[in-house]
Amino acid sequence: MMKIPDMVAKVLLTAVVALPAVAFANPATLNHPGRTLAANCFQCHGTDGYGMESLAGESAAEIVEEMLEMKWDTANKDIMNVHAQAYTDEEVALIADYFSKQ
Amino acid sequence: MNRRDFLRYLSMGAAAGLTLPLEQVLAAAAVPGNTGANGRVVVVGGGMAGAAVAKYLRLWGGTGVKVTLVEPNAIYYSNIFSNKVLTGDTTLAKLAYNYTALKKNYGIEVKTTSVTAIDPTSKQVKLADGGTLPYEHLVLAPGITFDALSVSGTIGNKAKIVHAWQAGPQTVSLQAQVKAMTNKDTFILTIPPKPYRCPPGPYERACVVADYLTRVKKGGKVIVLDANNGILAEPNNFGKAFTSIHKNITYVPNAILNSIDADTGTVNTAVGSFKGKVINAIPAQRAASIITQSGLGLANDTTGKWAGVDLLSYESTAVAKIHVIGDSHASGQPKAGHIANAEAKVCADAIVRAMRGESPNPNPRTNSACYTPITKTTASWLSVAFKYDPALKTMVPAGAGVVESATINKDNYEEMNKWFSNLMSDTFA
Ligand SMILES: Cc1cc2nc3c(=O)[nH]c(=O)nc-3n(C[C@H](O)[C@H](O)[C@H](O)COP(=O)(O)OP(=O)(O)OC[C@H]3O[C@@H](n4cnc5c(N)ncnc54)[C@H](O)[C@@H]3O)c2cc1C
Ligand code: HEC
Repeated sequence: MMKIPDMVAKVLLTAVVALPAVAFANPATLNHPGRTLAANCFQCHGTDGYGMESLAGESAAEIVEEMLEMKWDTANKDIMNVHAQAYTDEEVALIADYFSKQ
Repeated sequence: MNRRDFLRYLSMGAAAGLTLPLEQVLAAAAVPGNTGANGRVVVVGGGMAGAAVAKYLRLWGGTGVKVTLVEPNAIYYSNIFSNKVLTGDTTLAKLAYNYTALKKNYGIEVKTTSVTAIDPTSKQVKLADGGTLPYEHLVLAPGITFDALSVSGTIGNKAKIVHAWQAGPQTVSLQAQVKAMTNKDTFILTIPPKPYRCPPGPYERACVVADYLTRVKKGGKVIVLDANNGILAEPNNFGKAFTSIHKNITYVPNAILNSIDADTGTVNTAVGSFKGKVINAIPAQRAASIITQSGLGLANDTTGKWAGVDLLSYESTAVAKIHVIGDSHASGQPKAGHIANAEAKVCADAIVRAMRGESPNPNPRTNSACYTPITKTTASWLSVAFKYDPALKTMVPAGAGVVESATINKDNYEEMNKWFSNLMSDTFA
């Protein structure tokens, strides 16, 4: 039988190799009310915000501030303006809370 | 433990020996435990919609949701970026995705075969390999089929008339034909009436082929024969591209296709006949045969070509417990890969809720984004976010509506590469 530390090492090794892509079951955001909203950001920011242009773990206040700034800039020069304008301030707060807990 | 804690734990572990209980480490895998959702889901088709719904059913539903994905091909070639294969900017091999991550990371069972029939009474699907699979919810994500074209000529010449609108062998054939062109030759692209897969896609193809001919062949023309009455997507950007960036493109609207003579390279349309060396004819489209030929009345939209669905859950309006997502369903949303991924998430969430005895989210959201290369180094984009309109029972553009980029530039091209990488990981990894 494998000793527990060996098993852990093995689990860790696989986990390390797979990490950049694999999503994680995160109890802090399981059934979070912002999840289905935030899922509309995953295509460009990665699953749960882990990807290029990462959002995971940014503070909620920071995300809200940036989102509102991009929302009120209606010249639509950046693709983000389109997405920031699609959500109410309440929805933005939920989305920000979701990413801050990753 | 969240992912950051897990990473911290990994580095701690390496330095100081492992102190946390093993269960906690194992719990930090992708699929949560039982979330109260229990049942069997069969997903038909492992493309943009099917791969994403399989992943999110497990990620959000937990271990009680058993998911089997049925897909005949071991490798999925991305349609997105496949226009760049035609110009040699990328290769089909670089656009290849497999199902290993879905199996390994999310515990999804993958069957490499196709579904040949659906029995909604016994809630089973029949497989081409002779097997059957039971389901509580069935998700159909089989994409499109192409209508037949009227083509005359020798077998050899007829074989050269390809659409390359499903990345694969036809993409390779068309690439070879483009490569063999000279600076005196003409590439003819025919665009079918809407709705078809990827509204900006054909215009993008015209641009990258025209760019290639100018850059590499130092000449050669592109004629775009559009069955529609004008440019359907990004009219400003493509209008500009066709008139001032690629002067070798001739755009012809209302050119409804009648027939093609493959021997003489003649394309006959409602507005006249055109001759070319390479003829890339994209036929009119409808939902894949498992929907249109199912005998269950699934293709029940007004045209009889696409599946009508309840947009809160993507459940078929014809048959209970059968959901249809991606290009094969009917709605005001574009037939595109990025939004197919978003539809998949709405569907996964609704199925998980249904398994817990809850009703679907009344406020589903989706969004679409197409970045389109205009030259080898520049791109534009088209994007829209949708929200549900309860009175109309349909998805309508939210906020700014459908927006195309104000400029065609290099920054967009770089953003495009990041977008593609994230989108494909969010779908297949
Ligand atoms: C040139 C080009 C460029 C594009 N660019 C963009 C872009 O920039 N952005 C964007 O969002 N979209 C783009 N698209 C569109 C996008 O590729 C499609 O909309 C998307 O692939 C649709 O996803 P889907 O899952 O519905 O179908 P598909 O991805 O085609 O997947 C369907 C799968 O179902 C399988 N299948 C079919 N029948 C069965 C059966 N009976 N049993 C089992 N499996 C079955 C097929 O083998 C296939 O793998 C582009 C398309 C093209 C052609
Ligand atoms: C179509 C792709 C796309 C979608 C969808 C998208 N983003 Fe972005 N986002 C970008 C790009 C590209 C940038 C960086 C360039 C810019 O500012 O436009 C960005 C930048 C940002 C930034 C500022 C920079 C940073 O990293 O802090 C925030 C915050 C952000 N996005 C949040 C969101 C949220 C929240 C959503 C979902 C509601 C979302 N985005 C959906 C493409 C997207």
